[in-house]
Amino acid sequence: MNRFVEIAKNPLVISGAAILALLIIGELVSPGFARGDQVVRLLTVSAILGIAAAGQNLVILGGREGIDLSIGAVISLGAVIAGNVMSGSDAAIPLAFAAACCAGFLIGVVNGLGVTYLRIPPLVMTLGMMGVIQGGLVVLSRGVPSGNAAPALMAFVNRSAFLGIPGILFVWAALVVLMALMLKRTRFGWSIYAVGSNENAAVLTGLPARRIRVLLYGLAGLCGGFTGVCVIGYTGNSFISVGDQYVLPSIIAVVIGGTSLAGGSGSYTGTALGAIALVLLQSVLTTLNLEFWGRQVIFGVTLLLLMLLYGRQARLRV
Amino acid sequence: MQPVLRATDISKSFGAVRALEKARLTVQRGEIHALLGANGCGKSTLCKIIAGTVGCDAGEVLIDGAPAALGSPRLAEEQGVALFYQELSLVPQLSVGDNVFLGREPRNALGFTDRAAIFRETEALIARVATVAGAGLTPDALVADLSPDQRQLTEILKVLARKPKIIIFDEATATLDRRQVEVFFDILRELRAGGVSSIFISHRMDEVFAIADRITVMRNGQTVAEFSAAETDRYAVVYAMVGETGAIAASVRDHAPLKGDARLVVEGVKAARLGPVSFTAQRGEILGLGGLQGQGQKALLSGLFGAEPFAAGRVTLDGVDVTARRPAEAIAHRIAYVSGDRGRDSALPGRSIFENTAIASLVRERRHVIPGALFRTRFAEVLSGLNTRYAGLDAPIGSLSGGNQQKVFISRWLSPSPGLLLLDDPTKGIDLGAKGDFYLLARKLADEGATVIIYSSEDSELLSLCDRVLVLNGGTVTADLTGERLTPFELTRASYGDAA
Repeated sequence: MNRFVEIAKNPLVISGAAILALLIIGELVSPGFARGDQVVRLLTVSAILGIAAAGQNLVILGGREGIDLSIGAVISLGAVIAGNVMSGSDAAIPLAFAAACCAGFLIGVVNGLGVTYLRIPPLVMTLGMMGVIQGGLVVLSRGVPSGNAAPALMAFVNRSAFLGIPGILFVWAALVVLMALMLKRTRFGWSIYAVGSNENAAVLTGLPARRIRVLLYGLAGLCGGFTGVCVIGYTGNSFISVGDQYVLPSIIAVVIGGTSLAGGSGSYTGTALGAIALVLLQSVLTTLNLEFWGRQVIFGVTLLLLMLLYGRQARLRV
Repeated sequence: MQPVLRATDISKSFGAVRALEKARLTVQRGEIHALLGANGCGKSTLCKIIAGTVGCDAGEVLIDGAPAALGSPRLAEEQGVALFYQELSLVPQLSVGDNVFLGREPRNALGFTDRAAIFRETEALIARVATVAGAGLTPDALVADLSPDQRQLTEILKVLARKPKIIIFDEATATLDRRQVEVFFDILRELRAGGVSSIFISHRMDEVFAIADRITVMRNGQTVAEFSAAETDRYAVVYAMVGETGAIAASVRDHAPLKGDARLVVEGVKAARLGPVSFTAQRGEILGLGGLQGQGQKALLSGLFGAEPFAAGRVTLDGVDVTARRPAEAIAHRIAYVSGDRGRDSALPGRSIFENTAIASLVRERRHVIPGALFRTRFAEVLSGLNTRYAGLDAPIGSLSGGNQQKVFISRWLSPSPGLLLLDDPTKGIDLGAKGDFYLLARKLADEGATVIIYSSEDSELLSLCDRVLVLNGGTVTADLTGERLTPFELTRASYGDAA
């Protein structure tokens, strides 16, 4: 019995069950919802959110109220940079990825330096950074959409690469495996958990906690930049607030996946499932033809219920 | 003459620990009364009972002959007992007057704070200590702008505003320098002249004899002696603190001094409340840091480990400079540190026993990929070698008892074994069985060639485990005890700064 409760309380099981339930509800409400090509379409949307959530996941795991509110603005920045670098040319795609990721990484490092060395609370630091980037984007682009995606990039996100599955899904799958290996099997991964669990103890075992935290914010920025390129591949062109819609969902996906907002425990596999469940929920609510406000209410209530469920897990504290 | 305070037959237990057993204390009107005893003898508990912050199981407290209501700080205060807090209770952004009357502001007819009354009464209080007040201590000065001396004085004014008959000063001079202590003593004498009694707990014997009129000594929760300061000497007081058996009985261990070269050389290290401290230690030596609590022992250990780096000085181990600015640097030189505050300094809550054990080895061996199978076998062996009881390496650390947790945290540093092991009150709050395992381990590591430095808040632990004990008082080493001098008597005497 206890064993059963333990399994049922596992965030991976809960997220998986939620995904299954949402697929069934969707299919009942609107036959064809769970059809193969539809599922691939939903997974593609999930992949974009999931890559952004990978960055969010890292800073949250690192603890100390870690959070990156600037990730939306970084996504927008990545999209604008990529659009302008590519200008529709396939040859410039690698350069677009490199430029967007570098810009994201640098912004993330600045976030990290502010959080660790200037001791600015992450919420304030990244919120401020969000404002700076958004303002900068308005100045740079003069508010006019600029740049567009190269055809190969759009194909990478939207068209089948193999067996009807677009390239971005393979990249995301690789990311899930990579993150799991890193978190479970490398010193860096263990350091993230250690720093998030008890920073003082981590330092006393010789871990460079501050450098690790700066790097986590850097990686979050890098994920944001990468997501930005994927977003412009998905939509074709960029506008300066394209990333804003990812801020809250990236955090929520992490929470659904069972990562503690206090840091120090959780997994990216959970976050990936969380991203899928979240996209499915949004999609089901849209299919139900609910008014905007109705969707928001159900969305919010579901989230609160999930947090309540996870919050009731016995916290093992020393 | 009726004493202002008479506490009789006070008993108090915390769980299974008997803190006080029929303790007594009598204080006369207008005297400065020193309360002395080794760590954990119950003097602080007794003071807390008198001040009402802790209840008692049995006993009676009379204040001016009237039974005191025990267990209520508010009532104790009304009866004239005040507890002096050291640097805890001042709000820097408020004025001296506001701080003095914080929470008890006089009201005027309309129910607003009567600022004129605060000013008037604070001014009168300052006038009482005018000889030591110094310039700038006025009722409307901001506490943030005051000198440290004046803040100390404001703390005392705060106590005086309650018009107490008895003030309890628990280690009030611990953080003061010599000149500040003089100021503090002047204030005590002013109070005495005004008929106020003081109960004074100090860790410095010369202070006690400089200021106290009478002395009460406690040991193991009991009051064992009362002296008039003028009619006794330090030897008699220390003797009372240690007890007859302690003074005579030699320690069980063979404390023959080790013959070898100094391999750890600490030269003139300094930190905030430490130093300069210099000493050496040998291979195979278990060196104890003794003295009363908070005399710089912890600062010395965390400085050696680089957790709170020294401001000055040099540390060498086997001829190599190992002065650490970060724990990582100390670890690279095979220095290990185990804290007694497991929750703050050691535990990674929510993580598995395996992670809690193996994390330090990744750093020490500069591994970037975790050798799962290798580490699992290795740490399972290390843990069972320490008699650790655990469900499995993947069980969370919180599932273990305190003693078993501490075994996990020390096993972090055992493979490869450390050259210098720093133990900061490592057996705090762990069971006797685990303590025994811990002592055996420390001895084994020393026999294998490590140097072990241990601070313990229990004198008996140092006496039974250490080859040599350095006694710290006020941040400096006041005695170096080995061989025949390593006795409870000498340790207690040195703890109170009464070096032979």
